[in-house]
Amino acid sequence: MSSGSKDRADGLLWGAGALLVLLMAASLCLGDLRLPPSQVWAGLLRRDSWFATVVWEIRLPRTVVAVLVGAALSASGLVMQAFFRNSLASPGLLGVSSGGAAGAVLAIAFGWASLSLWSLPLAAAAGAAAATLAVVAFARRGATTDRLILAGLALNALLGAVTGYFLCRHTDVFDRNAQMVFWLMGGLEDRTWTHVLIALPIVLAAAWLWPLGRPMDLLSLGQAEAQSLGVDVRRLRRQLLLLSTVLTAAATAVSGPVGFVGLIVPHILRLLAGPAHRRLLPLSLVGGAAFVLACDLASRLIGGLPLGIVTALIGGPYFLWLLRRER
Amino acid sequence: MAAAPRTLKALEIDAATVPGRIEGVSLGLEAGQVVGLVGPNGSGKSTLLQVAAGLLPGGAVRWDGRPLGEIPILDRGRLAAWVPQETRFEFGFSVRAVVEQGRFAHADDGTGVDAALAEFDLDALADRPVDRLSGGERQRVLLARALATRAPLLLWDEPLAPLDIRHALQVVELARRLARGGGTVVFSLHDLRLAETLDQVAVMEHGRLRALGRPESVLTADFLRAVFGVRASRGTGLEMELP
Repeated sequence: MSSGSKDRADGLLWGAGALLVLLMAASLCLGDLRLPPSQVWAGLLRRDSWFATVVWEIRLPRTVVAVLVGAALSASGLVMQAFFRNSLASPGLLGVSSGGAAGAVLAIAFGWASLSLWSLPLAAAAGAAAATLAVVAFARRGATTDRLILAGLALNALLGAVTGYFLCRHTDVFDRNAQMVFWLMGGLEDRTWTHVLIALPIVLAAAWLWPLGRPMDLLSLGQAEAQSLGVDVRRLRRQLLLLSTVLTAAATAVSGPVGFVGLIVPHILRLLAGPAHRRLLPLSLVGGAAFVLACDLASRLIGGLPLGIVTALIGGPYFLWLLRRER
Repeated sequence: MAAAPRTLKALEIDAATVPGRIEGVSLGLEAGQVVGLVGPNGSGKSTLLQVAAGLLPGGAVRWDGRPLGEIPILDRGRLAAWVPQETRFEFGFSVRAVVEQGRFAHADDGTGVDAALAEFDLDALADRPVDRLSGGERQRVLLARALATRAPLLLWDEPLAPLDIRHALQVVELARRLARGGGTVVFSLHDLRLAETLDQVAVMEHGRLRALGRPESVLTADFLRAVFGVRASRGTGLEMELP
């Protein structure tokens, strides 16, 4: 890689980092109640109990969840794209987010969701984990890439049917139905430290993923070739599959299915910084966090549009413009 | 007591079998040779090369006397370099970045990369994204990556097929140079006239090794008729070599 694109990637990483810090500050200040930075600061230091409540109980957990979800989805998408050697792969390809959705809808349908703050995200995590296990069990039997994708399609369809069934069955119970629809749009409203705790595996997975950039480069150009050059491809693929699904599962559990982030953020960053995963991994983590946080801010300012809709509304046109410009 | 002088084979394969593709292939190759692997389409050349490279299970393989199972995968990246018949690049890594991947098992980026680029006339293309190269240029990138590994055993699957005549002759010349330096180069090819100029030829047919030896003793007219179904004769045609 020439030094020019390395400098460019370093510049991008610093830029994205600075943007993320700014967005986090804005996320603490903006909302239904606008707080000037001085009052946010007073709240952060618990000098004022009212501002402390707003900042510590409402804004900060929501901000942290947004950062974790964005980083997770974007990194997961990057891993899937390297794994499948296809820049159109996304975190939901293997059915993990559909599993999360089915778990959450089940929890709402049977009324578990109202029992405790933990139950809805945990049900979503359980659904995602079940889907993950199905995928990994399939992969362990030596499934090829094509068969994995087909298995993911089947799993997506099956879990989508479960979700659809419970949505239809509960059309007469308005509040449950509304809760399901709202959850399925993806969102970060009223997230708490409980959600932050549930999303913590994201930090572990990201740390594990961090040093795998170089072998990912080799894998993304071919399995047999990578193995011949000294990469333990079986082990690497197992790790990547596990990490990608854990990232997606944890993100889906706390935010619902948020589309497009995992597809668009790595793709944009690759266009800007080149394909080397050593640089794309940190960039995706930071860039994904900034993107989701920005979308959440936009959703708050527009007046509560669900996050999943905002990511698509902002991401779609930008992506189209970028594709047009690059060709 | 002095150890008895014993020549280790650079590559040994015992009874390699991959169901439906090759069956009971055994061979041993001494170091310092260029070996041409020939055979009709579907005779198992690519499979044999993949077994030799440790990419397909199927038989006991030894490199330089060491059983492959005892060599960690990372170390294998320094000992043998396999080049696939064709490849697809999804991502736009630069030519230089791909050649640098040959140094993965050495845990450095730079050593010998410039020389490998120069060897295959890739200097001018070094910053070009690999997903925008022609088939022949892609093949040269893969060969340069294999060369950058500095591995003593080279296993190339039809490296010459997409190359123009000059680059093809350069690759053969490089193979000879590597063999003179103690390396062992095994590559599959379809051009029997070229195979005849190599140190050894191995002939595959229906998944079995039919013959292995010096070209003049293996590639006889009767043998070519039996394996390839052609009548061979010597004449004067258009001959080409590097100036």
